[in-house]
Amino acid sequence: MQFPLLTLIVFLPLLGAVAVALLGDKRASAVRMTAMVVAVVDLALVALLVAGFDTSAGMQFAEKVPWVPQVGITYHLSVDGMSLSMLLLSALLTVLAIVASWRTEKKPALWFSMLLLLEVGMNGVFVAMDFVLFYVFWELVLVPMYFLIGTWGGPRREYAAIKFFLYTLLGSVFMLVGIIALYLQTGTFDMLVMAEAGGLPANFQWWVFAAFFLGFAVKVPVFPLHTWLPDAHVEAPTAASVLLAGILLKMGSYGFLRISLPILPDAAREWSGFIAALAAVSIVYGAALAFAQTDMKKLVAYSSVSHMGFVMLGIASLTPAGLNGAVAVMFSHGVVTGMLFFLVGMVYERTHTRTISEVSGLSSKVPVAAGLLAFASFASLGLPGLSGFVGEFLSLLGAWSSHLWPGWVIISAAGVLLAAAYMLWLVQRVVLGTPSEAVAPIGDLTRTEVAVLMPLVALTLIVGVYWDSLLRFTDGPVQTILALMGGI
Amino acid sequence: MTYVLAIPALPALAFAVLAPLSRATRNRLVPLAVAAAGGSLLLSIAAFAAVWPGGYAEEPAYHASFVLARIGETALSLGFQLEPASAVMLLVVTVVGLAVQVYSLGYMHREDRIGWYYAVLSLFTAAMLALVLSDNFLGLFMSWEIMGLCSFLLIGFWHEQEAPRQASMKAFLTTRVGDIGFMLGLAVMFAEVGAFDFATVLYAHEWSAEAATTVALLLLFGAMGKSAQFPLHVWLPDAMAGPTPASALIHAATMVAAGVFLVVRAFPVFEASGVALTVTLVVGLATAILAGLLAAVQHDIKKVLAYSTVSQLGFMFIALGAGNATAGLYHLVTHAYFKSLLFLGAGVIIHAAHTQDMRQMGGLAKRLPTTSIAFGAGALALAGIVPFSGFWSKDEILTVLYHEHQYVALGFALVAVFVTAFYVARLWFRVFTGPTQQAELREGHRSMLVPMVALAAITAVIGFFGPVLGDYLGYKIPWPDPLLAGTSTAVAVAGMVLGWFVYGRTTQVVNTRALKQRYANVYGVLANKLYLDLTYEHFLVRPYIAATHALGRFDAHVVDGAVNGAAKLWVRMSDAGRAFDVTVIDGLVNGTAAVVKAAGARVRALQSGRVRGYQTLVAGAVVLLVIFILVKGA
Repeated sequence: MQFPLLTLIVFLPLLGAVAVALLGDKRASAVRMTAMVVAVVDLALVALLVAGFDTSAGMQFAEKVPWVPQVGITYHLSVDGMSLSMLLLSALLTVLAIVASWRTEKKPALWFSMLLLLEVGMNGVFVAMDFVLFYVFWELVLVPMYFLIGTWGGPRREYAAIKFFLYTLLGSVFMLVGIIALYLQTGTFDMLVMAEAGGLPANFQWWVFAAFFLGFAVKVPVFPLHTWLPDAHVEAPTAASVLLAGILLKMGSYGFLRISLPILPDAAREWSGFIAALAAVSIVYGAALAFAQTDMKKLVAYSSVSHMGFVMLGIASLTPAGLNGAVAVMFSHGVVTGMLFFLVGMVYERTHTRTISEVSGLSSKVPVAAGLLAFASFASLGLPGLSGFVGEFLSLLGAWSSHLWPGWVIISAAGVLLAAAYMLWLVQRVVLGTPSEAVAPIGDLTRTEVAVLMPLVALTLIVGVYWDSLLRFTDGPVQTILALMGGI
Repeated sequence: MTYVLAIPALPALAFAVLAPLSRATRNRLVPLAVAAAGGSLLLSIAAFAAVWPGGYAEEPAYHASFVLARIGETALSLGFQLEPASAVMLLVVTVVGLAVQVYSLGYMHREDRIGWYYAVLSLFTAAMLALVLSDNFLGLFMSWEIMGLCSFLLIGFWHEQEAPRQASMKAFLTTRVGDIGFMLGLAVMFAEVGAFDFATVLYAHEWSAEAATTVALLLLFGAMGKSAQFPLHVWLPDAMAGPTPASALIHAATMVAAGVFLVVRAFPVFEASGVALTVTLVVGLATAILAGLLAAVQHDIKKVLAYSTVSQLGFMFIALGAGNATAGLYHLVTHAYFKSLLFLGAGVIIHAAHTQDMRQMGGLAKRLPTTSIAFGAGALALAGIVPFSGFWSKDEILTVLYHEHQYVALGFALVAVFVTAFYVARLWFRVFTGPTQQAELREGHRSMLVPMVALAAITAVIGFFGPVLGDYLGYKIPWPDPLLAGTSTAVAVAGMVLGWFVYGRTTQVVNTRALKQRYANVYGVLANKLYLDLTYEHFLVRPYIAATHALGRFDAHVVDGAVNGAAKLWVRMSDAGRAFDVTVIDGLVNGTAAVVKAAGARVRALQSGRVRGYQTLVAGAVVLLVIFILVKGA
């Protein structure tokens, strides 16, 4: 048997979480160091995985052992390029989140142990190929995120945490029903086996798709199931916001790509028009609401609704370009929105306000922070040469050449203009102009803060300039999904 | 010939070096940017010579591409090609680029962010050079957008002031309206052809008229945004809030011409459509005349030039619409030189007179001799007076219209020629003749005058090389037809005479104020910029902002209200169901759901009601699952 690299990647943070919890708040520096080392080692293991990954092959590094053989539950972990891109993002953002929250004073042991526990769930979701395992990781994510928001969040943290917890959990109950139904129909919990076998009755597919849709759409989130998101983001501490937007949202779209499309292909085709409609509405609605916000964090939160709309548009297109575009937006949004939340947090720590009208003229006072904020904003509004453009462009390309109604594509394309509107208006008010009262006394980013952002800046540039650096990983899985769907 | 790649790479490198540095270091390294621009110019000359004698060729003289991404069988590539049209454009961009960079050494030397200015200028130059070298529409679009970023940054260079900030955003957003068309055009192209490279899209693909029309019109919409064509021209006059040399490069010579260049590149698609050519012609005519009229009522010297640019770009669209890409490209080239010259001249004038308002100027010819001679050359070129460059290329456009039997269009174009000559004369006499209004007027620094003189020299002689340029581009540009040239010159002279009559005489014969009052309606429409800005403001911008706020309330009260309402309902229901829950469900759950319960207990402590209800649901689901598993297992 080969070395269980994936198991190690998934469960190393669990060991770390336990160790950190045992160390306790009194040994804060040991806690921080342990968390850091564990996360960095985990990232290194993922890097190892990337290095050893064969982009011409499909699922790799598989570990498959019977778990509850009586009912066909297996411990089945595996990665393809799509999972790998998400895994990399998860491991990287966890490290950065730990560094960025280095000075957490309130219950540091619990904080870092929750961050590591969260990583277990996030990593697990993207590599679990057995439904039971998948569900366990899916739900596991909620617990640490609940505590991260509920304990270290803003004034309305309890409301936001409960809302986040219940809303997404409610969605996943439907998903659970879908899983059970699938199991009863196929007799297996193995996603890959199910997808290979195919041949589920169309009517059955429709209902199961509906159940999964509720589970995934809440997570993405798709309009009108998005209202937990701005609340959660506004109350969440910076590191939690980064991981929430960077990884947790992608779990939903990943679910569509990994489960709904290949296992329920007929239903996916039937639903695609509806999903495209919701995607187009999400793009425009999210952009319009982002424009109306007075709070920087809420603006970024609503922009996520808009960007995730492009993911859903690409998925609904059921074309190679669209699906590649969807994964590219998922990756890029994780990087760029991660950057934006970090920066908003860094500005907030200094000015003690996130109200846009109270923050202005950053560029003349703190040029480094301002420059990076402008950079992230332009990446977010889809400037070619930066990563945001790649996926949005491919989604539009795929959607246009698909069976979808062109009207949805045109509406979505208008989202590109609206994104420029809310992002540039933010830049204009916050970055440019003369320094406001809140900005006058502040200092620029520290070396550590710059170090947190640099990997994200680099990824934004690399993916934006050389698309293949990302798409070489995503294209194989995309082709596989479409082949499983019977070729389109 | 790999050195061709260095042409855009040098300024790109200059940007990459300058941008991350601190302000002080950046300011010291400004010569680096100028050196990069100079290097690009030398290499462009070499590239131009390498393509010599040009003409039609099957293969570009140099071609290099790399795969950007693979999607299944489809490979998206980015590449660069050197052929006559790109070689000519390289010279235009690098000559004007270097002139502007040298000029800016003097013009911008007091700015404490001069390093940043040069960094952005370098990035812009790199993007424009990449655009003209691009061998495909995707790469063209990407460079196009990066130029848009640079334009945004330079218009808003003095961002502490409100006007430049507003103008930069307006420019970016208005051009992005056009870019939606460009992007959709690319999407349709991809759906139709499955590729973006010129070779495949333009020559290997059989275009149906319908598909060609769709793609061509969408691309045209993008070009109208970038090249400031009516009714998307509104951003360009505002863009004058940026530094004048940047206006010369970006908003006169190069970036705004990119739309014309796009149509030139996509020309076979336009020809396959036919309809798209007609639309292009109409857009060009409308823009040429309307912008010319608007230029005639401006008082700000830069705005006169801005509207003039819009109008001249309209002339290029006329040429394209009439079915002659070479004539459009020809006018693009001559215009790039004479209009950048005029802007650089305006910069000296503004520095000297400390105002942009022409009503506060006068008599500058005596005080600024070099500037006035150089500016005069540019002005005559703009008015279309032989032998200055604008005469030749404008005449070529009129010839094309004549040969294509577009007599109505020819008539309108002559009207535009008349208006152009009129506003040129108006500008000239107001600024350079009459009494001086400033006590102290100084000629510009040598670093500013040398580039102007160079551009003026080009403007004076380049027209004689029209036929040579035509051969190089693989198309015949004939010497002007005496009858047509005579007519257009007569029209231009008439326009200038009228300008002199109104503005040039020491004793005022025409009371312009009385005229304005008499024709208040006409003047009002022009003075209010055709009410376009107001229309956009009232019917697009404000309603959108209002809609976003309304949606914000909708989101909070309706969408989220439904969520909170459902939650409250759930709490009530779960309270009612508690008895049932405790006795029946919990009993069942015992054992199998112990873990869930334990986890739930902590959450329950926080908010008993809702979580309790939810817990029931999960527990129920788990119980179901277990029962199914047991049944299945047995």
